[in-house]
Amino acid sequence: MSLGRTLALPARPGIGMSMSDRLRRFGAFAAKFAAKALAGLAVPVGLAAAWFFCARWNWIPEQILPSPDAVWQTLRETTADGSLQSATLVSLQRVLSGFAVGIVAGVGVGGALGASATLRGYIEPFFLAFNQIPHIAWMPVLMLLFGIGETLKIVLIAWAAFLPATLCTLQGVRDVPAGYRELGRVLMFDRRATFSTIILPCALPSIFTGLREGLANAWHALVAVELLASFEGLGYMMAYGRQLFQLELVMAAMAVIALIGLIFHTLLRWVELRLSRWHLEGAA
Amino acid sequence: MTAPARETAAHALDISHVSKRFLVSGRKMLALSGVDLHVDEGEFVSIVGASGCGKSTLLRLILGLDTDYEGEVRIDGVRVKTPGLDRAIVFQDHRLLPWLNVRSNIAVALRHSPLGKAEKAERVDAQMRLVGLERFSDAYPAQLSGGMAQRVAIARALVNRPRFLLLDEPLGALDALTRLRLQNELLRIVRQEGATAILVTHDVDEAVYLGDRVVVMRPDPGRVATVLSVSGPQTHDRSSPGFIGLRDQVLALLGVAYNGAELSLAREADAREAAPA
Ligand SMILES: Nc1ncnc2c1ncn2[C@@H]1O[C@H](COP(=O)(O)OP(=O)(O)OP(=O)(O)O)[C@@H](O)[C@H]1O
Ligand SMILES: [Mg+2]
Repeated sequence: MSLGRTLALPARPGIGMSMSDRLRRFGAFAAKFAAKALAGLAVPVGLAAAWFFCARWNWIPEQILPSPDAVWQTLRETTADGSLQSATLVSLQRVLSGFAVGIVAGVGVGGALGASATLRGYIEPFFLAFNQIPHIAWMPVLMLLFGIGETLKIVLIAWAAFLPATLCTLQGVRDVPAGYRELGRVLMFDRRATFSTIILPCALPSIFTGLREGLANAWHALVAVELLASFEGLGYMMAYGRQLFQLELVMAAMAVIALIGLIFHTLLRWVELRLSRWHLEGAA
Repeated sequence: MTAPARETAAHALDISHVSKRFLVSGRKMLALSGVDLHVDEGEFVSIVGASGCGKSTLLRLILGLDTDYEGEVRIDGVRVKTPGLDRAIVFQDHRLLPWLNVRSNIAVALRHSPLGKAEKAERVDAQMRLVGLERFSDAYPAQLSGGMAQRVAIARALVNRPRFLLLDEPLGALDALTRLRLQNELLRIVRQEGATAILVTHDVDEAVYLGDRVVVMRPDPGRVATVLSVSGPQTHDRSSPGFIGLRDQVLALLGVAYNGAELSLAREADAREAAPA
């Protein structure tokens, strides 16, 4: 990226460490991780236990809250006949393509808006207003435009991811401190250098916030559009389950969505941390 | 003692009748008023003055960061319109990029240098050694102390071997010992490179020790009150009577009296008394 990168010494902490040192370090890391994981699991495990006992003692009728075993059973059956995988795959494809289109456009538009006050003056109010409209509200209009095929789904999901990606990127680029830009001018940076060495790294945390929000939004849009206008996918599975009063099917789909969402979120977070190691080290 | 303003021939740097206004809460505020200063090639000029008298503003004009002012700033007789690699600055706030480590923070200044990769790396290494930070080359700014960060900023300014070196309180956050060492280093580098240096400082000792001339500025509006020449045997000898005399003179001009070892803020009357007529 920058000249500095190419000059960076390979010396990293940990190069000259002995084996026992490494083990001790790893042990400390593992303990920390386990503590974190335990804390993170406490609430879900508690809820699962509550759920289990609710079902077990019939505090809530089974038609409304199916028992954990029923959901588990459903998960196994739908996996065995392949219907869960195919539904997941369809949904995943839709989310990923919509999300990709949305964030590429969003980061681009947001970056342009953040860089140009004139452009912002023209367009930002519209974006802020659009952001108030739930993306599902666009569905009737989009249906008229695109029918109810695959295009509709991708466009809606893309739009849902586009808004937060745009607004967060805009914010990140706009809020680059004037002092850093001034430094770039003093060092005679051209546009490229200013962008890669000052603006992008400075705006990166904000951009990633936009990406994570965009991802969550993409899933919301997916489920909504599949509930209303689809014959396949996880959302459809939920709609179908509800109609047949098979709530365990609904909950199985919910579990898959939650799991995939968590994985994506973690992946994004990991990429962000890789890209901004200085943040981490600086805080240490 | 006031250096005569030679307007005719072009100096390395000419600041002529410069006034700068800022709009502060709807009112025009005069930050600089009729500043005249002419600096020769290789000269070391110190600027002292109360907070807010426009020292940093003046440096910004010399850099070409701000061209909205009255009067003229010229280099070799040519008006300054944009920044250039012939001028480097150590900002008052060190302004290191938090996402780059020490080495890269210094190296960014060489981005447009025609040097080869190896030469660049060598230069950066040399600068890090100079400011005593070679062991911290992989550290990030957030992991440095204030004084260390300032040293990195100095290294970044020096690495390009600029013709003009502008220093805005570069040694402010340093401990006394490092400060003395870096003062000598600065002097040595500036002499060795033949650079022309303009140093803003609140440390009168430092101003007299490093400067060939000391510019005393006054606030409201920011202007040059006096320019004192530091020459003869007192130069660079902190304990010589000449040095002490000059220092007391500058302090007096700033409205501070200096008696023996005791430094005290004095009333206007005391300051006038202490100032030689
Ligand atoms: N961007 C700006 N907008 C409005 N006013 C400004 C701006 N920059 C500086 N000023 C004003 O100009 C005056 C001079 O500021 P400057 O930063 O040059 O002072 P200084 O002599 O460097 O002070 P210090 O010793 O505290 O650094 C101050 O009164 C300040 O309020
Ligand atoms: Mg200042």
